Amino acid sequence: MSAQTLRFDKQVYAGEALDEAVKAFSNFAAFELKQEDDAWVVELISKSPQMADRLRNEFCNYALGLTIQRGGAS
Amino acid sequence: MGTQLSDIPQGILQAELGAGRVSINLDAEVYPLQALYGASYIFIDRCYVFIDRPDDKVFRVTLSAKDAAPEAEALRALVGEFANELLSCAWRHQITQDNRTIIETVTMQAIAGAMGEPSLDDLASFDFSDEAFDDPLGIAQSWEDKHGKKVQKQDEPEASNEGAAS
Repeated sequence: MSAQTLRFDKQVYAGEALDEAVKAFSNFAAFELKQEDDAWVVELISKSPQMADRLRNEFCNYALGLTIQRGGAS
Repeated sequence: MGTQLSDIPQGILQAELGAGRVSINLDAEVYPLQALYGASYIFIDRCYVFIDRPDDKVFRVTLSAKDAAPEAEALRALVGEFANELLSCAWRHQITQDNRTIIETVTMQAIAGAMGEPSLDDLASFDFSDEAFDDPLGIAQSWEDKHGKKVQKQDEPEASNEGAAS
């Protein structure tokens, strides 16, 4: 198990997009969501340490893609 | 540890060749977020894209190669193509902003036209008393109204006819 903390700026990423991304990746990792004033904080705990980096990158891409499809963060 | 790629101004770009990652700092006033979204969306199938805001005036875009260990030249090409695409998106965004009123007007007219002919009820309730449009130069007047013979008013005495009778 390897944990990584990701910070997504609230002005760039939509919270709903992150929720949806967490749901989509829940088979591959455990997630803990927190909120700061200006950022969504996602703690990603990969079930496979070998795939941790790739999983993190794929998760970020997926969240960004969903945000853009929704028309942006706001 | 960051490395500098050739041809890229210092301070704008940091490359981590070992990790196959390159970060670009972008002025938020030059490149709007919508343009950044546009360019990023094009690139998310080629590389991993992450957008961050180190401060309010700067966007930091991190591009990570999907290949294991890309060469410096491949990273340079990737960031160059991204920058070109970003510039194109920013310019298109600017054109859209400039022409927003025209686009909205044309779209509105197209939708209004697609709604079809007005019903009898619509026509019955239509206010025909309104002027169709302002015409200060009299362009919409007919030629006869503007330059034709003036019709005598009924109240005026017909001097010529009276003279002939006496």
